[in-house]
Amino acid sequence: MYQHTLFGAYINAIILLLLQRVLLLVASDVDALCACKILQALFQCDHVQYTLVPVAGWQELETAFLEHKDQFKYFVFINCGANVDLLEILQPEEDTFFFICDSHRPINVVNVYNDTQIKLLVKQDDDLDVPAYDDIFRDEEDEEEDSEDESDGSEPSEKRRRFEEVCCTGRKVTLQMWLFLHFRREILFDYEQYEYHGTSSAMVMFDLAWIMSKDLNDMLWWAIVGLTDQWVQDKITQMKYVTDIGILQRHVSRHNHRNEDEENSLSIDCMRIAFEYDLRLALYQHWSLYESLCNTSYTSASLKLWSVQGQKRLQEFLADMGLPLKQVKQKFNSMDVSLKENLREMIEESANKFGMKDLRVQTFSIHFGFKNKFSASDIVYATTSLMENIEKEDSETTNFIKALDSLSRGNLDKLHQGLDLAKKQLRAIQQTVASCICTNLVISQGPFLYCSLMEGTPDVKLFSKPVSLCLLSKYLLKSFVCSTKNKRCKLLPLVMAAPMDVEQGTVIMVGIPPEVESSDKKNFFGRAFEKARGPQGAVLPAGPGRCCPAGSVHASSTDSPGGLSPASKRCLPAQKPQTIIELKTEDRSKFLDALISLLS
Amino acid sequence: MAAERGLELVRELHRAAGGHLPPFRTEEMRQALEEMRALYERNQADVSEAKSGRTDLIFLIRFRHCCLLRNQRCLLAYLYDRLLRIRALRWEYGSVLPNTIQFHMSAEEVEWFNRYKKSLATYMRSVGGEEGLDLTQDIKPPKSLYIEVRCLKDHGEFEIDDGTTILLKKNSQHFLPRWKCEQLIRQGVLEHVLS
Repeated sequence: MYQHTLFGAYINAIILLLLQRVLLLVASDVDALCACKILQALFQCDHVQYTLVPVAGWQELETAFLEHKDQFKYFVFINCGANVDLLEILQPEEDTFFFICDSHRPINVVNVYNDTQIKLLVKQDDDLDVPAYDDIFRDEEDEEEDSEDESDGSEPSEKRRRFEEVCCTGRKVTLQMWLFLHFRREILFDYEQYEYHGTSSAMVMFDLAWIMSKDLNDMLWWAIVGLTDQWVQDKITQMKYVTDIGILQRHVSRHNHRNEDEENSLSIDCMRIAFEYDLRLALYQHWSLYESLCNTSYTSASLKLWSVQGQKRLQEFLADMGLPLKQVKQKFNSMDVSLKENLREMIEESANKFGMKDLRVQTFSIHFGFKNKFSASDIVYATTSLMENIEKEDSETTNFIKALDSLSRGNLDKLHQGLDLAKKQLRAIQQTVASCICTNLVISQGPFLYCSLMEGTPDVKLFSKPVSLCLLSKYLLKSFVCSTKNKRCKLLPLVMAAPMDVEQGTVIMVGIPPEVESSDKKNFFGRAFEKARGPQGAVLPAGPGRCCPAGSVHASSTDSPGGLSPASKRCLPAQKPQTIIELKTEDRSKFLDALISLLS
Repeated sequence: MAAERGLELVRELHRAAGGHLPPFRTEEMRQALEEMRALYERNQADVSEAKSGRTDLIFLIRFRHCCLLRNQRCLLAYLYDRLLRIRALRWEYGSVLPNTIQFHMSAEEVEWFNRYKKSLATYMRSVGGEEGLDLTQDIKPPKSLYIEVRCLKDHGEFEIDDGTTILLKKNSQHFLPRWKCEQLIRQGVLEHVLS
């Protein structure tokens, strides 16, 4: 159940009474990294011993849990684990506790209604839309005759237990029971149909720190980066973003009000956060303005920069603002001060003329020292590219650790490395998008658009990682919507495929919702992918459906580690958000056909 | 002739910087001692001759004597420097030395090390009240009770004083009491993370 305000009390109980150690399992995205940093700071404050293990997918989560389950009783999951039935998959002991702080929704009903072992960290005003308990679970007393065979060894006094699907074959089923099951299936289907994201975990952690009165400016900055990550990756709606910014703005003014007072202001080396109504151009302060305009999806899509006409329009845009090309193409810091002074207002005015109404966005920036000024989105891009760095052959955990380090202010060299990598990544994305649009690689398959990257495409290795591929697909969809004249195609979602591992012959596929102004960012591809995979020789377990990877190398169903009993029946998708999956290249066409028939 | 082997030994030790202990050169030691013995015998012979009249041998005797002294100085420096390094090892590694290092020590050095250990232990027990004080902990003043460490290589399970085990996997981070990690930090398995 929800355990928001009591979490602090729980942690105190842990320290004082039990002196237990905690295992943190952290997913691989920037929001999780930020939440992890905040939680680490809180633990260090209170001397709670912990161990941090990065997990990149379900397989790793399971392995990590099995390796550590003898040594730890308290597990904290950050940005993983909310949307599956954890108790069934991990099968923990009775005295193990799971604390879940995850922004993925919908939260699995078992996780919500479990009183004893699972504690969820959610904000009180986050609307979860969970179906009522009585609609999904039946109490044991009502089913004495029917559930006799299943409740061997269960205590009759336990009122709320996990509901096990009643096997109806060869058993007398009452009409009431049948109706109940039918409605239950419908309710669960409606509840779990769309996947979306709730409040950022970093913000929830910061809230927790604030309640315990241990919040600092550093933690506030991490919360800001976590929220900005959700916005950059298009996971939340504009409304929610603005609301959350408002919440953080209050905290920022509380922590940073000393800067306004001339007499008592802090030294220049102290860290300060400032609210800014800044331009939406990616990394523009660390790049040249021209490059930034070319490589930000918003401007590139609106101006249609893949065509010659688009390039002309860009020149017109710059001319309209009165910015000489020579100035605009050099590093932003070296631009003339007179030009930089009113840059934001000038750009906004001209942008309105060219149809780009939202070029400015509310965000925050951080200053420390004379040289170091970064905007929140800069940090997000840098950290993402560090985490998905393919340049060196490091393992994923090494990249995770590097990315985690780069969030501390003492590791500016890593941050700069991240910024360079981010520039390369953005350029690669734009070039790929341009080539896809010019060569008409985006084809309409009926209910959705489909684009597949060939193996020989430049920089295709960059897109074998989930977050990069997601970013690419979003930018591609935006650009496609601006480029096509077909009204129907503008409302279609996109499925994108890229080669993941050439030796093993796997392909990574991602599905994103359609690009509409008022979209609520809800993604139905999770369920759709599952169903489309189902018939490919995989066994669907009972209960809220999960699919098995069809012959994919990662989640191997036959050699699961011990501890998971009917392991072959209970397989997991390879990646955490189920809208991203792995397939073998041969299965790809079958899968697509299944998906088309499913969605039409 | 002029104490070359002794000088070789000293040079080798001089090159092995940073407290590193190279293997004990028994063979060269023996050769140097052999050289000294040869010089001494020749000197003995010449002294008896010089006593009985041949005073021109005095310079030769003097020269040989200087060689002997030089040899002695080199060898003693070699032995003493090694002992100092071995002493430092006790403070760095603790009472059990890794096998590779023990290999490099001669039998006498090993015995000296054991006696040093005993002496240090007796001293530490006498200081600091009833239980004694472990002087080899906290060589630099600690800033905090608990430190954040990162595992650099797979070390397997690590048992700590209260019986709980920690699984040290590569790239996992842990927040542990300082005294439990110091050994492993010195060995290079863990790395102190400063944020």
